[in-house]
Amino acid sequence: MDVAFLFLMVIGFLTIGVPIAISLGLSSIIFLMVFSDSSLGSVAQTLFNAFAGHFTLLAIPFFILASVFMSTGGVAQRIIRFAIACVGHFRGGLAIASVFACMLFAALSGSSPATVVAIGSIVIAGMVQVGYKKDFAAGVICNAGTLGILIPPSIVMVVYASAVDVSVGRMFLAGVIPGLLAGLMLMIGIYIYARYRGLPAQEWAGIKEIIASGRDASWGLLLIVIILGGIYGGVFTPTEAAAVAAIYAYFVANFVYKDMGPLKGEGDQRHSFLRRPHTLLTVFVHPDTKHALLDAGKTTIMLLFIIANALILKHVLTEEQIPQSIAAAMLDAGFGPVMFLVLVNVILLIGGQFMEPSGLIVIVAPLVFPIAIDLGIDPIHLGIIMVVNMEIGMITPPVGLNLFVTSGVTGMPMVRVVKAALPWLGIMFIFLIIVTYIPWISTFMPTALMGPEIIIK
Amino acid sequence: MHYQPTTSLGRVVNQIEETLIALILGLMTVITFVNVVARYVFNDNILWALETTVFLFAWLVLLGASYCVKIHAHLGVDVVLNAVSPATQRILGLIAVGCCLAFSLLLLIGSWNYWAPFAALPMLDGTLNDQAWYEVNDIPMPAFLTFLEDAMNEGEAYEKIPRFIPYAALPIGLALLTFRFAQLAWAIATGKTDRIIAAHEAEDLIDDTAKEE
Repeated sequence: MDVAFLFLMVIGFLTIGVPIAISLGLSSIIFLMVFSDSSLGSVAQTLFNAFAGHFTLLAIPFFILASVFMSTGGVAQRIIRFAIACVGHFRGGLAIASVFACMLFAALSGSSPATVVAIGSIVIAGMVQVGYKKDFAAGVICNAGTLGILIPPSIVMVVYASAVDVSVGRMFLAGVIPGLLAGLMLMIGIYIYARYRGLPAQEWAGIKEIIASGRDASWGLLLIVIILGGIYGGVFTPTEAAAVAAIYAYFVANFVYKDMGPLKGEGDQRHSFLRRPHTLLTVFVHPDTKHALLDAGKTTIMLLFIIANALILKHVLTEEQIPQSIAAAMLDAGFGPVMFLVLVNVILLIGGQFMEPSGLIVIVAPLVFPIAIDLGIDPIHLGIIMVVNMEIGMITPPVGLNLFVTSGVTGMPMVRVVKAALPWLGIMFIFLIIVTYIPWISTFMPTALMGPEIIIK
Repeated sequence: MHYQPTTSLGRVVNQIEETLIALILGLMTVITFVNVVARYVFNDNILWALETTVFLFAWLVLLGASYCVKIHAHLGVDVVLNAVSPATQRILGLIAVGCCLAFSLLLLIGSWNYWAPFAALPMLDGTLNDQAWYEVNDIPMPAFLTFLEDAMNEGEAYEKIPRFIPYAALPIGLALLTFRFAQLAWAIATGKTDRIIAAHEAEDLIDDTAKEE
């Protein structure tokens, strides 16, 4: 009963417009004051330990920063050119290429809204130009953008790994096959729709264009190798990989693509580094650098303040032994793995409508994790199911981050974006069911490359 | 939505806040990166790198939270707010900001009580529980801080920096947060704004992309 009170408070605060982070934190504090004898000091300690005690979370600001440099650094544009060269000649090719570009960008960035903005702000206008319907273009991007959190690196996966203590590396690997599968399903859906509706195809630009555009984009795409290769080659921890990625992206943006920083001239003009070698030092104090850092800083603060407060709530839940009592109740009720997973999906889908993904994962993961282990469900598989649910949460109202971003990028009203995204949401639902009931899709890569998961109870 | 300070004091404060956020995040990245380089190129781990980064991380978020209140960057649900009349909106806004103030005040009390012993200061109920000899794990004591040993630790040397330094982010951050919420409460009460939360971070993202194009 107490728990119901806790969650009712959270929902109540959210409804009247209290920020998510404060709703979580305040509910936990009130709950502790009413039902237990913990001191306010211990809550403050939990808040500080959200940072001092969770080294994995440290990867988040670095991934956000790398992503900011990548989106301001013109990487998106080059990736799109490469994607169009590869698949643009199919029917509906521009839309298929957009999905492909979203997948590539997702492999550089760990966030879905960032993917929508980076790719969507360029391709939606392009699709409308060659005669696609704007609603169609917006719907496709809104959905394909969610791949940002499924294809590694992924901020939501870092949060899950840190909430239940599984390896970030394993989670990242587990996202590879589902990510490719989801992208492929969207592309097939688009292709069928395009045949049916007679959407135009781009001209085949030839192998030469693929090679040329691929070479141009390769500086950006090399980041995938640095991040994944670095983690699995045992060179860096995920946190270090993220920091290296941020520094690398910074130099590519400033000195290779020159789309920001001291070598960017007026308009299309770019200065030569050899003529201005001093820029190697002045770049650190360039206004663009500060602007990008501040941008990434804002997103980090906003996100981590939610996560830190969700960790306070998690602390309350574990202290009150709530996960254990829920687990016992569910096992007594005779829930098997199949029913349990249905339930997890329903909880997350409903929760995902109202909550920010990372915060929701911090709260729900510890609740369902012990049950999943008891039922013999692989923790990595459970993680991927959660991530896919969060993807769907991002494209369903009222709190669908991707919907908001798409509406902003296109200038379309929210209701129209929701309708535009709806048909493709169906594909994501089918995908969710496939991922939920075929664990192999998630567990194959990590098991093959890192050995079987050892579960310590 | 971009925050534009209106007074000259506001501009200075805004500059300080923005520079600090950028600087802390930049430092975190550089320290982590340099540690990787040190490990592979010089075969030497910087022992204090991880702990420093973690403390900077805490500073970034705890101090930055108040800045995000100022620029309305905190996420929330606004479906209900958008559905009701302006009068109701204002009442709900006042209740909501009251909740925020309650949160930050309660945590400010908690932060003080948690931090004060480390700084050899009395807790709010007057109990003095001197724990100023607590140190962090890895960060060595720099020479310019040794004056603290006389002031805080009865002349005894600190090998690592004392714990009250990094943990000061808690009381300072929560005090700033309380101040920003109080400001916001005033703005809602006088009708200058009607809500705490951002319509969405989306606007900000798009704003920035639009500028770069």
